[in-house]
Amino acid sequence: MISAGTFHVISTELTIGMFALAGVAFLLCVLGKGPASREAVAHWALLGGLIATPLAIISGVNAVPGDGIDNPLLANKLLLSMASAGLAVGVLLRRKWGGEVDIRHASTGMISVGLMLTTAGMGGEYSRGETLLFLIPKETVMLFPIWASIVLLILGMIIVGKSTVEHRS
Amino acid sequence: MRFKVAIVLLLMILSTTISTANPGGKGDAVRSRDCAGSCHASSASNGISEAVLDIQFPDEVYAGLLMEVHTSVGSVEVSSNKMVGLALLVNSDGAKDLPANDGWEVVTDPNGGTNNYVEVTDSFSSQDNVSRAWTLRAPSTPGSYSLYLAVQHGTANGGVAMTGISSAMQVTVSEVPENLPRLSDEWEPVNTRGLGEETEITLQTVNTDSATIELKNGAEIITIPVVDDKFVIPAAVNSGVVEWRVILEGEGPTQYSPWFRLTAQEPGWEVDEFALYLQGFALFILCVGLVILQRPKGGNIEVNKYDNTQEVSTQFGRIQPNPSPIEEPQIRGPPLPEGGLPAGWTMEQWEYYGQEHLDTLARGGLQ
Repeated sequence: MISAGTFHVISTELTIGMFALAGVAFLLCVLGKGPASREAVAHWALLGGLIATPLAIISGVNAVPGDGIDNPLLANKLLLSMASAGLAVGVLLRRKWGGEVDIRHASTGMISVGLMLTTAGMGGEYSRGETLLFLIPKETVMLFPIWASIVLLILGMIIVGKSTVEHRS
Repeated sequence: MRFKVAIVLLLMILSTTISTANPGGKGDAVRSRDCAGSCHASSASNGISEAVLDIQFPDEVYAGLLMEVHTSVGSVEVSSNKMVGLALLVNSDGAKDLPANDGWEVVTDPNGGTNNYVEVTDSFSSQDNVSRAWTLRAPSTPGSYSLYLAVQHGTANGGVAMTGISSAMQVTVSEVPENLPRLSDEWEPVNTRGLGEETEITLQTVNTDSATIELKNGAEIITIPVVDDKFVIPAAVNSGVVEWRVILEGEGPTQYSPWFRLTAQEPGWEVDEFALYLQGFALFILCVGLVILQRPKGGNIEVNKYDNTQEVSTQFGRIQPNPSPIEEPQIRGPPLPEGGLPAGWTMEQWEYYGQEHLDTLARGGLQ
């Protein structure tokens, strides 16, 4: 058996590698240059990264010494990775439903990739004390009150439900 | 274009520098001796530390009892962050070298934890000698044991990971005298506490008639009374370490325990995990919704992507330059009269009965 830390490294490199590839492909989509396969590469790589993301999150939580989330970096990693995964799922769904890969679509994909890479950068600071993300306030956690999170959750579910019905019709 | 891209990539690769692995440290842990990751780089990035390493033991070490050892690191130049990793080990093989393998227990490490590997930041230099105290519980079996002090650190110029290990330091663990006043084997000291709170400690002793607590307060030592095997260490206002020991008196020789270190620290960062997970899930759903809220433009994009009809039609047109004209639907039955359908007739009736009607008219309209 391998430790959770080692498994986290494996799953994280899978996730980040695929997200980085998707980011480059989305950038080519924004620029309108590169091979015709850039759209397929962007979305398939994003899907691959998305599949590996839960493995990275679970192994990361298990690899953390101590009990629970006791560091603001970990809290920010959780929030950023969830937001990134949400954007990625949205991009993939929109594409599956026939959405055109325009600048807005590709930019959303790039934002998703950027959030995931920022999450990885924070992991570097947490484990090794070093990161290239100097200017990001990583020690500050914007935690909503529970009622605000519930409102956001309901709002999100309404939007998702409404959009799903519209796309089916 | 490709050549230019290749040149840029080559320059980027050549501009990378080889640095020591884990320059920010790896964190305190129970850890065997390793290379700190430096062995994954070239041999030029590794080095043997020239640090002078030493371990000081107390005069008497009894089996299963607490003791204090002092490790020192001197004559070493380290990286700018002045960090050195210290490890207490039982051999230099890099395997089965944890103190627990020989029955040792790290009760309190120099950083207030219970690890055999700690990272210490101090004034390491070629002139200074940095010492740290460890509280250990000796193996329960008397005999002769070896302990090693291993270090890993960077260099002043950076780029090289240095590792070193001391020679074997022998210590003899003796049988516990029958009437020796001592702390019981089950008792463990408290290592940490929060700011502003008194700490009540309960002692568990064996062969002890009376116990006295000595507490270091700067340069002076304060005596604290022990009532019903309990005593209280006053609250700390600021973060820091207080050291205390217990003097045990009984029929046997008076015993002095190691100096125990009680670290006062600010409460750690806490978060309502339910609120955090809920917010994370809400962000996930909201982000999905916001993206798919954008209506897809050109819903036939999948058709366009794989639709090669135009190209195939063009090629097909080249093969059959004179495509057969599309046949228009023909009207069955006789031609319509000049005035159109007779009054009250439908086209379907005309197709079936029109000829008969014309023949009747030709015969003079008689049936």
